[in-house]
Amino acid sequence: MAFLIRTIDFTAAGREIIRERMVERDTLSVGRAAENDVHLPDLAVEQHHIRIVLRNDGTLAVAALGTLGFGLDGRSVTEGVIDPRTGGEIALGAARLTVAEEDGGTLAVTIRQVAAEEGKGDALRGFALASVLPSKRAMSWIFAGVILLALLMVPVASNLLRTPAKPDPTGRTPGQVVMDAAWSPGALSLRHHSLENNCESCHVTPFVSVQDEACLSCHKDTGTHAKANRLAAGMPPLSAGDALQWRIAESLGKEGPLGCVACHTEHEGPLRQKAGSEAFCGDCHKDLDSRLADTKLADAHDFGKAHPQFRPAYFASFGAASPVRAAPGSRPVEKSGLKFPHDVHMDPRGGAARMAVSLTRYGAPLECKDCHVLTADKAAFKPVEMEDACESCHSLVSGRTAGGGFSKLRHGSVKHLAEDLARIGRGAHAAPVSGRSRPGQFARGGTYAADFGRPVRDFIGLTRALLPGGVCTECHLPTTRAGRPDLMPVNLPDRFLTTGYFTHAAHRKQECTDCHAADTSKAASDLLIPDLKSCRECHLGASAVKTKTIVPSDCAMCHAYHVPAGQWLPEAAPRDPHYRPLSEPDKTTLAAVLARARR
Amino acid sequence: MATKAGGTGRFTQDERRRDSDHVSFLKHKGFRWLWIALALSGAAIAGYLMIDQQPRPNGGSWYGYTLGTIGLLLIVWLSLLGVRKRRINPGAWSLKAWTSAHVYLGLSLIVIATLHTGFQVGWNVHTLAYVLMLLVIATGIYGVVAYATLPASLSANRKEMTRAQMLEALTAIDRQLESAAQPLDRAEADLVIAALGQDVFHGGALARLTGRYPGCATAGALKGLGRGSEAEARVVALLEKRRDQLAQIRGQLRIRAALEIWLFVHIPLTIALIAALTAHVISVFFYW
Repeated sequence: MAFLIRTIDFTAAGREIIRERMVERDTLSVGRAAENDVHLPDLAVEQHHIRIVLRNDGTLAVAALGTLGFGLDGRSVTEGVIDPRTGGEIALGAARLTVAEEDGGTLAVTIRQVAAEEGKGDALRGFALASVLPSKRAMSWIFAGVILLALLMVPVASNLLRTPAKPDPTGRTPGQVVMDAAWSPGALSLRHHSLENNCESCHVTPFVSVQDEACLSCHKDTGTHAKANRLAAGMPPLSAGDALQWRIAESLGKEGPLGCVACHTEHEGPLRQKAGSEAFCGDCHKDLDSRLADTKLADAHDFGKAHPQFRPAYFASFGAASPVRAAPGSRPVEKSGLKFPHDVHMDPRGGAARMAVSLTRYGAPLECKDCHVLTADKAAFKPVEMEDACESCHSLVSGRTAGGGFSKLRHGSVKHLAEDLARIGRGAHAAPVSGRSRPGQFARGGTYAADFGRPVRDFIGLTRALLPGGVCTECHLPTTRAGRPDLMPVNLPDRFLTTGYFTHAAHRKQECTDCHAADTSKAASDLLIPDLKSCRECHLGASAVKTKTIVPSDCAMCHAYHVPAGQWLPEAAPRDPHYRPLSEPDKTTLAAVLARARR
Repeated sequence: MATKAGGTGRFTQDERRRDSDHVSFLKHKGFRWLWIALALSGAAIAGYLMIDQQPRPNGGSWYGYTLGTIGLLLIVWLSLLGVRKRRINPGAWSLKAWTSAHVYLGLSLIVIATLHTGFQVGWNVHTLAYVLMLLVIATGIYGVVAYATLPASLSANRKEMTRAQMLEALTAIDRQLESAAQPLDRAEADLVIAALGQDVFHGGALARLTGRYPGCATAGALKGLGRGSEAEARVVALLEKRRDQLAQIRGQLRIRAALEIWLFVHIPLTIALIAALTAHVISVFFYW
């Protein structure tokens, strides 16, 4: 067997010089020493570096003769096998020995010198992922730049450069600050929804918390519950933690526990502001008199356990200018100026009932609703009108008209009564039918025409009507004013319970007489407003257990914070004016348990 | 006098240092930072449950501000690892301790920041910061897992070759291919040229991560070459060697890509998070 040794060198000009020689042997030694079959003059090569042995199966065994290995197909080894059919490359120093079988089965060993590769380290960089991805630094700058520009600089710049718009209670003014929607931590409450895109309507000044002034620019008419100094004095002292919190908050420009935003938190989602809880009211009102010695309000904190007696408003004297509130625990005598025994009218077997049965309008004994008509919101009753409620029986008919109908006295004014009575006197006598009329303005219908009735009758009628036994004093109290007969003015308050809210609609399943003792009231001076005890038959405090008859009732069922006489936003749900108490607070959370324990 | 076990002698100290050199940053000082992070998270959860925040838990309550401040300081400190690891100077600060704290305190941020949100999220800059933070933490978790598991397979894939040797091996095969391909005709020679001409690092990040190289010219040449003549058979045999060598290199690339990819999310998103956090804090007090 023989090896073809082919040496490829380059001249200085770069020309290839190829020398070939045959080595007729089965083994081939390679090294720096001259006696080797292949002599490589390279200091990196050992004197006797490797031996290549042709084996029987046609493969070549390559083995290092010393301890220094050699490169075989790129990896460092001390021995290896080359299949000449596929070939292999041995690296020794700068020489590369390519072993391959050539045409005709010759084993060729081609020796080439390679220049030391420079910049190999650079090639290794290709292993790093960074070689195929954008740089981390560039990505960081881009992401951070976009976020800072779009979500910070644009809104801040447009906020600082705008001309502030006037407050708009309708909420229709669009916001001027660009891209600040991304700052909103959550949707506004339902009532503030129209302000959703107008952040600066509330957040007026940068880095200043929302001030009461901003709220009041729209909510001008909102009641204040009490004067600020009274509120501050009436509040229970803050806990040490709360006091510290508020001290910090106030030093940073918050308006303290009496500011609007202390209760009215926003961005909590499209909800309604919740009514204050019984505990919220009770914080101040359960022992208010210990802090506000001069308060007229009695302590209250639970409708079933601690609530003062009602003090309905009523007219305590005839013709008084305004109603007064009943003293606690007193039996008010109402001086409305009317005579009206409820029992007579409500007795199903009495005269009034008989009369009503005979009238087609009623056809049955009188009921409350025959006179008392609910207002549109079904909360209260319209004022009783004499013409609608009373006149069917208490007739004011004064005669027949020419057309076959009835003439009647007008109700409501003594002056009208006088005119109407005077007309009765005139209407009775016949017109002169002489065929001749008086000349000029003396004729009937003229300026000087006189109606020659009997004035005496008019006077008598008028006087008698206003005197005891007269038509007016069936219901009214007679009096004299400036020496003339007159009637006591009728005084009834628009509202009896002035500092709480009550709706009849919610109580429509009750009989009127369950609460109002009208069927036994013998005089109009009875004030038929129910007392605390009758309310408590059904309504107990918020902590009461709900049963078929007991309604747990928190303060907000009847009282609103800002408008004591109003209910908690009754107009919120016009179809259902009935107050819905707060849902039971979640008592299972650890925080709630601990908070309760603290209380 | 002999120093007692755990004493202060020079030898004992050196032994202790040598031992600690081989302890993973995860186990540093008996999981010291894990316990600190757990205590921090536990305290945050306990506070959240026990403090009755009215009207509801929220980033704007005093507890929310407290958690937010802790979270902000943590994020700033965690991001300073990139500065710390570049400052190789003496001092009583251990990069391993720092890395250990980075991992565990970073994980505790999940608890602290989530409680800071009060579970209120929306399409806004605040939730953007929160989501970016979660992404950074998620990539960080991936990074810890990758660093713990992948180096072994990286080492196994090398088969005692350096990266330079892998490239050298490929060059050796290429030289043989070039001469072996001399007898081939035009079309087949072009296939070999394409295979030899293609960059060893051909393929993008996706190819590296998945190990799929649909455009590989070596595979294309293997498919296109006939097996008829002796020359063709030799070239095919060499191309197969080339393919195998490429596979090793690509295996190396795949494992390295898996080892490094998270940093390409972790770092830019950290910077983006700091930007979003800046916008979050400023916007909250701008519209206070």
